[in-house]
Amino acid sequence: MLRFIVGRLLLIPPLMLIVSVVVFLLLRLGRGDPALDYLRLSQIPPTDSAVAEAHALLGLDRPVPEQYLHWLWQSLHLDFGTSFVTGRPVLDEILHYLPATLQLGGVALLLTLFIGVPLGIWSAHHRDRIPDYLVRTLSFIGVSVPNFWLGFLLVLCFSVWLNWLPPLGRGGVAHMVMPALAISAMTTAINARLLRASMLEVAGQRHVLYARLRGVSEVQITRRHVLRNALLPIVTATGMYVGELIGGTFVIESIFGWPGVGRFAVIAIYERDFPVLQCFTLVMTLIFVLCNLLVDILYAWLDPRIRYAHVERDVETTASREGAA
Amino acid sequence: MARACTLLTGLAMTIVSLTLGAMTLGISPPARAAQDAARILTYSWPSNAGPLDPQGYGANQMYAQAMLYEPLVRYRADGTIAPWLATAWQISADGKRYTFTLRDDVTFSDGTPFDAAAVKANIVAVLANRKHHDWLELVAQIDRAEVVDEHTVRLVLKHAYYPTLQELALIRPLRFASPKVLEADGHVSAPVGTGPWQLAESRRGEFDLFTRNPHYWGPKPAYEAVKVKVIGDANTRAIALQTGQIDLVQGADGQISADTFERFKASGQFKTAVSPPLATRVLTLNSKRAPTRDLAVRQAIEHAIDKDSIVAKLLYGLEPRADTLFAPSFPYADLGLAPYRYDPVEAERLLEADGWMRGADGIRHKDGQPLEIGFYFVGSDAQQKAIAEVVQAELKRVGIDVRLAGEEANSISARQKSGEFGMVFSETWGAPYDPHSYVSSMRAPSHADYQAQLGLPMKAKLDREIGEVLTSTDEDTRQALYRDILTTLHQQAVYVPISYITAISVSRPGVAGVGFGATINEIPFEQMHPATP
Repeated sequence: MLRFIVGRLLLIPPLMLIVSVVVFLLLRLGRGDPALDYLRLSQIPPTDSAVAEAHALLGLDRPVPEQYLHWLWQSLHLDFGTSFVTGRPVLDEILHYLPATLQLGGVALLLTLFIGVPLGIWSAHHRDRIPDYLVRTLSFIGVSVPNFWLGFLLVLCFSVWLNWLPPLGRGGVAHMVMPALAISAMTTAINARLLRASMLEVAGQRHVLYARLRGVSEVQITRRHVLRNALLPIVTATGMYVGELIGGTFVIESIFGWPGVGRFAVIAIYERDFPVLQCFTLVMTLIFVLCNLLVDILYAWLDPRIRYAHVERDVETTASREGAA
Repeated sequence: MARACTLLTGLAMTIVSLTLGAMTLGISPPARAAQDAARILTYSWPSNAGPLDPQGYGANQMYAQAMLYEPLVRYRADGTIAPWLATAWQISADGKRYTFTLRDDVTFSDGTPFDAAAVKANIVAVLANRKHHDWLELVAQIDRAEVVDEHTVRLVLKHAYYPTLQELALIRPLRFASPKVLEADGHVSAPVGTGPWQLAESRRGEFDLFTRNPHYWGPKPAYEAVKVKVIGDANTRAIALQTGQIDLVQGADGQISADTFERFKASGQFKTAVSPPLATRVLTLNSKRAPTRDLAVRQAIEHAIDKDSIVAKLLYGLEPRADTLFAPSFPYADLGLAPYRYDPVEAERLLEADGWMRGADGIRHKDGQPLEIGFYFVGSDAQQKAIAEVVQAELKRVGIDVRLAGEEANSISARQKSGEFGMVFSETWGAPYDPHSYVSSMRAPSHADYQAQLGLPMKAKLDREIGEVLTSTDEDTRQALYRDILTTLHQQAVYVPISYITAISVSRPGVAGVGFGATINEIPFEQMHPATP
């Protein structure tokens, strides 16, 4: 296990290097010129000399390989450059906005678990009856509705019509409700459906039948024999949601005026703020990779049948253990 | 699988505690009480105000620079120049020496007196960074600043340059920071100016708070503070206004969409206003390239586009129809030029007289060449796209085939610089740059205007006249030159003026005295006050 973790961790630096090269090149291969954006923002007419001056100011007047090596060297010293738009150090900006995003993502993740899991249990319990149809319809809507549209609907309903919740900004719990709901709608819906399917599958297995024959109460069966086994795919899925939820913050933060890194990145895309986009992509890559690794580790820990290092040798033991179960 | 359960519970607990921790750290400002509305005016802007260097660009937001820093002279809505920090000025006969008498009752918000030495220090810093201000002709023309006495300062120019006063009125870079905070590179260690407001607090990504400058020499603003929230999305801004999170929406650059403005207006619950013309929305026709190099084709296009319906249907009537490159309210621009009327029949007559005959497909041809024009616009700009489609349909009716191409803003800029277009959208620069800076730029090859005019037989003469008008010291000569330049451009039909760009304003009923600044980026917060019930 340790070898597996160390191996995966050792893969991160080369991965980051590749990602950084790709992002660096992609940004510069585009037709746009950040100097023109800079001048537009500054309301300076884009004369030839003004463009040249802006190139020099933004460090874009040197050949691309030189720019990259310079950037790489600086990055290794944790200096990711200065934002073209705000004029501040990029890492400082991203670290400033990241906590707000993690907070929003965290709450959305909680909603995904605390709403999705009970709905899934309820739905499986009342299979093909009204609660099941209700949850399935809700899930269908949750998966289909784009989060930005849901965001605006929520604002229209709870801020404009009912005046219950503040429509924008970051503050107390009230500020959090709508953006978190809008971001988590999809993952909540998926969780509910996933748990329902997984519970029904487990409920059909032999050990549940045997438990029932042993006279174990239905509540006990659901709790100890069905739910616990059925939760495994939820853990995997929840790990994958991190990407989904962070992606959701891009749009939702812009709509709800949430001072997070997603909104900051959206502005950077519009204004072609290369240093911000480079650093942001790397930070997000790192978060993704670490989350995936975490899920893999948890998975192995939760399900003793899974071993990453010596798969072949484990096959026999797995089979025998399954028989015992 | 007991582990799964324990794990999920543990994970949930961790997230709960982290989230609660983050919440207590980020304690919100107290909910807005009713009495706050009478003391604090709340506005919104897509970004924070920035470092607020009086000479800085980029992250420095002009509306905020205009709140903190003041000019020697001020540009008025009628195009005239009024005294401000300077009470009077004299211009030498050769037009090279401007002597300003300064107010003697002005102090910076840190208590430092504003005097001739402070003016000089700021101008020295600007001149030390000439390269940054290369776009502004006046900076290139200033040779030096001299302190005559404590309250008199003199600017010495290299050559006569009549728009000196107009450019001194600009929001940047020729306004003044306290010499105590001004650094040699033109940056300031803290934003300290003479204006009615000072920056009290700035929270990144959340808001900027401006409070009254206690040392302000002029009338005290009625509001104690102006809070500017960071809101990027136009729909979010509209919701914020509707729900009372902000008091005011004002600006020219898509603060809210035109249909949202209409909705606020129709609701009757908000005060709405539209400013006088601030700049002009035009189509630029390329006189160098076929087929727009034919004067008859350009004039036919002028007659074939129904601007009134574009204004009514696409611009929601918010921008008045434009008949000339500059609105008559701009300096030297009230020339009584005869507008090109909407007259498709006249357009067809002009084309036929020039030898463009309709083919079987309805498109006109001449010498085997189809009457086909490439029209480039910013693809993501819904308004440009809508106008372009209407223009395409109207020109098709008179036998002109317009090929639309929506591209990225940057590649449109590149086309404008290189002249690779048949038709393209342009905007004039607006007050106080119009007309002098805008006509000046017509001489620079990297501008769409230069490229578009390149096919005119009198281009060399135009450029010479533009050079003369900027250095002329005689008012009558200047008016005569402008008449000639603007009449030529009008008759040669290089520009199809569509509408005059305006700013819009929507305010909650509790705010009174909402007006527009004389230029696009000035918002006169100091004149606004709570409405008396």
